[in-house]
Amino acid sequence: MNSAPGIGSGLLRVGLVVCIAYALIFAGAGWLQVVEAGPLSADPRNPLQLVAARAPRGRILDVRGVVVADNARAVDGVRHRRYAHPAMAPITGYVSTIFGTAGLERTYDRQLTGVARLGAGGDLLRKFRSRASDPADLHLSVDVRLQELAARLLGDQRGAVVAIEPSSGRILALVSTPGYDPQQLADPATAAAYLATLGDDSGAPLLDRATQGRYVPGSVFKLVTGTAGLESGAIRSDTTFADQPVESRRGFRLEGFRIQDAPRSVQLDQPLDLTEALEVSSNVWFAHAGLATGAGALLEVASRFGIGSAIAFDLPTASSQLNGGDGPLHGFADRVELANASYGQAEVLTTPLQMALVTTAIANGGVLVRPTLVDRIVSRDGDESRTSPTRIGRVMSATHAATLRDAMVQAVQGRYAADYAGGARVPGVRTAGKSGTAQLAPGQAPHSWFVGFAPADAPRIAVVVIVENAGSGSSRAVPLGGRLMNAWLKRFAPDSAP
Amino acid sequence: MRLARPRLRMRPRTRDRELRLLTVVALAMGAGWVSLSSTRSGGLSIGDPVPVVCWLLAMLGVHVAFVISGRDLDQVLLPVVGILGGISLLFMERLPQGLVVQRFGDRTLMLGDLQLLWLLLGLGLLGITAISVRSVRWLREYRYTWAALGIGLLAAVFLLGDEVNGARLSVHIGPFSGQPSELLKVILVVFLAAYLADNRPMLARSSMRVGIIRLPPLAYLLPMLAMWGVALALVIIQKDLGAALLLFSVFLALLYIATRRGSYVVVGLVLFVVGAAVLYGVLGHVRARVDIWLDPWADPLGAGYQVIRALYAFGRGGILGTGLGAGLPTVDGVAAIPLIHTDFVFAAVGEELGLLGALAVGTCYLILAERGLRIAARAPDDFQALLAAGLTLVVVLQAALIMAANLRLVPLTGVTLPLISYGGSSILTNALVVGLLLALSDRTAVRGVPAPTARIARSAVA
Repeated sequence: MNSAPGIGSGLLRVGLVVCIAYALIFAGAGWLQVVEAGPLSADPRNPLQLVAARAPRGRILDVRGVVVADNARAVDGVRHRRYAHPAMAPITGYVSTIFGTAGLERTYDRQLTGVARLGAGGDLLRKFRSRASDPADLHLSVDVRLQELAARLLGDQRGAVVAIEPSSGRILALVSTPGYDPQQLADPATAAAYLATLGDDSGAPLLDRATQGRYVPGSVFKLVTGTAGLESGAIRSDTTFADQPVESRRGFRLEGFRIQDAPRSVQLDQPLDLTEALEVSSNVWFAHAGLATGAGALLEVASRFGIGSAIAFDLPTASSQLNGGDGPLHGFADRVELANASYGQAEVLTTPLQMALVTTAIANGGVLVRPTLVDRIVSRDGDESRTSPTRIGRVMSATHAATLRDAMVQAVQGRYAADYAGGARVPGVRTAGKSGTAQLAPGQAPHSWFVGFAPADAPRIAVVVIVENAGSGSSRAVPLGGRLMNAWLKRFAPDSAP
Repeated sequence: MRLARPRLRMRPRTRDRELRLLTVVALAMGAGWVSLSSTRSGGLSIGDPVPVVCWLLAMLGVHVAFVISGRDLDQVLLPVVGILGGISLLFMERLPQGLVVQRFGDRTLMLGDLQLLWLLLGLGLLGITAISVRSVRWLREYRYTWAALGIGLLAAVFLLGDEVNGARLSVHIGPFSGQPSELLKVILVVFLAAYLADNRPMLARSSMRVGIIRLPPLAYLLPMLAMWGVALALVIIQKDLGAALLLFSVFLALLYIATRRGSYVVVGLVLFVVGAAVLYGVLGHVRARVDIWLDPWADPLGAGYQVIRALYAFGRGGILGTGLGAGLPTVDGVAAIPLIHTDFVFAAVGEELGLLGALAVGTCYLILAERGLRIAARAPDDFQALLAAGLTLVVVLQAALIMAANLRLVPLTGVTLPLISYGGSSILTNALVVGLLLALSDRTAVRGVPAPTARIARSAVA
């Protein structure tokens, strides 16, 4: 009776379409629950994050296990963070229910709350454990004693200190003053009022100067110029410039601009070589060296240190620069700017952390390592992940590093050291260092810089100190750096020998 | 209603396959319940197993009734209902009970108890339908009555209904409330199956050309299109996009099965696209739905909130899920996803049972599709074949529509996840559908209804 085709084949095709529709749905579920699971769970608006934020977070401990951040007892279901050592604020940051998170509290939020491994497959065995989240403790490489000593020595002056273990890149101290008390931001009762006072403070206490302060480096930058000259082959350790002794007295005239050396207590009439020029910090010598090296090579070698881009680090970092970037000469306006930049003036701006990397590379025989703050992450279930030193690469040959190191030792222990970095000398220990006096606008006192490391032959600590508007390097930053290296090597270091 | 009188031809017929599958269901439900209770109490526990035991005993009761009835019913459908209803029960017991509260005199029933009640009523309806419906001739004979009844239902909703969540869906009469559009879907399928079976030969024959498209005689197409248009218009007035979309899909599928003419599907899809574009331009709530779908993050705390929260839930679930009871149904006492017990129950399944659970639920509907289409293929006449296919597709496509919406593969249109979402109308309707499918599966009892060939002949002459 049917002139129409049979129904069976139509059913089959409709069934096929149903299967395809379901296959698409299954694929969609797979996409969300496997590929997107991690990012979705990490989204701060995910209720998971809200719940995790209320659970006890992991603690933050210093290198000896001193608790730096832990949880206050919950009051009315609200639990806030407790910070026993305000000097650690530039590192830990804070957790505030009102203002969010900062510092390591932010960087390692997922580990501290314990939702890090709640991704798609994640930790399958977690399904059989009692808690969904697994807060982890952060064990830092920082020593609270060194951190607090540095903060105390900086006092109420604005400045920053970076101390680092050269061989591993482990940060030993990272200080920024003026500081703030993260405890008062964490406590909802005081947070709003306290933040208002911090905002009114012209010293910008929330700015982490060690990683984000961009400063004119002055003479400490000569280490970069020296490296570039040596690496490019433009200069050698025995290179001298014939006109330099005269120019050091009367000024080096370059296209109408006069480059001067700082007045010295002794006159040197012989042309200086690299070691001597670094020892007595001759601007004229390094201006010549920079011009001989050329803008391109200077920029290239500087970029090996990481200058020009943000440093990969656990905290936000600002990038350092050699020039404003809009001039015709590789970003330099002219040879005058290049010459001035070669001794750390003009448009050169560096962060203390960046100078710490430069110092570390020299201390390490030319090898740059990644700076780290966290030694270990230990979950409450006992899982531990360790940070292993990461070698970024070789910045200069071992020979060149040794040349610069010897010059820095000379700056601390040489004939004229008293005027320069001599104040940083650690008694009984061969010490390397370089002072800096960063000239600012007329009428402003210069920034006082010191970079150095000790012991010079097997460095265990490298230190960068900057004190804003504190005068010459030798007057303020140099002795401060010396005391820190001394304290570390004689008292704080695990194998210190007093 | 003229049910064929049950002839007391009770010759029990064992149903081994069904019993084996029900054992699997019982084990799965038992494991689910222990898992949920243990998560809640923090140690190994079976909690208060009464709801699950009730459900399992009811399944066993229906199984025994099937055995005693001696009918040769499909043996897979009941276990599928068992597992879907069981998952529903686990989740309704698990979700915040305050989501639904109803008072009956001095008794207050909450989400889990109410759903158990609906599930048991649904199972009863399923069993009675499967055993007692021995002929579906009456369904076919009263096709225009069904059509009128369907329109009447819609009119009732339009006149008496309350607007909830932007859609006018429910009718309250005394203490009872219901969503007639659920039942409307079944009624329309019955009408469409009857109409298509009657006119199949004519619809399949091409006698009118419009350009390159060949259409059946207008006289045969018009009544159906008119019926369709009226239904669609009322559904749009109700703002029930989900039901409209579902009915349109089922309509196209049945039309294709009946005629096997791809051109109808093409025309249908073109109509759909044009209609959708017009609706998008004209109706604010349609536009809102589509815009939310395209970019829920444009307004994460407002319009996109629900959709985004569902995505988070799927993400939290991962592959294995958080485990029953270990998800995040509420944050600060507010449901993590609004309507998590109805429209977004699939997101709850995805969170707590993970990708595997979500795939398992989807597979259950696929099994239902396979059984239903198989019943259709074996049906003794066109009407029963189209009816079985239509009933199957109503359930399976509705499930696909809401699962895809939960996963943000299509815009959200508020339909329930059949046999899992909370709600009496939805549970009862879907139970009725499966009951009818079961009845249709018994080839020994349901007699083929001879197609009214005389009528077709007459009409063709006219």
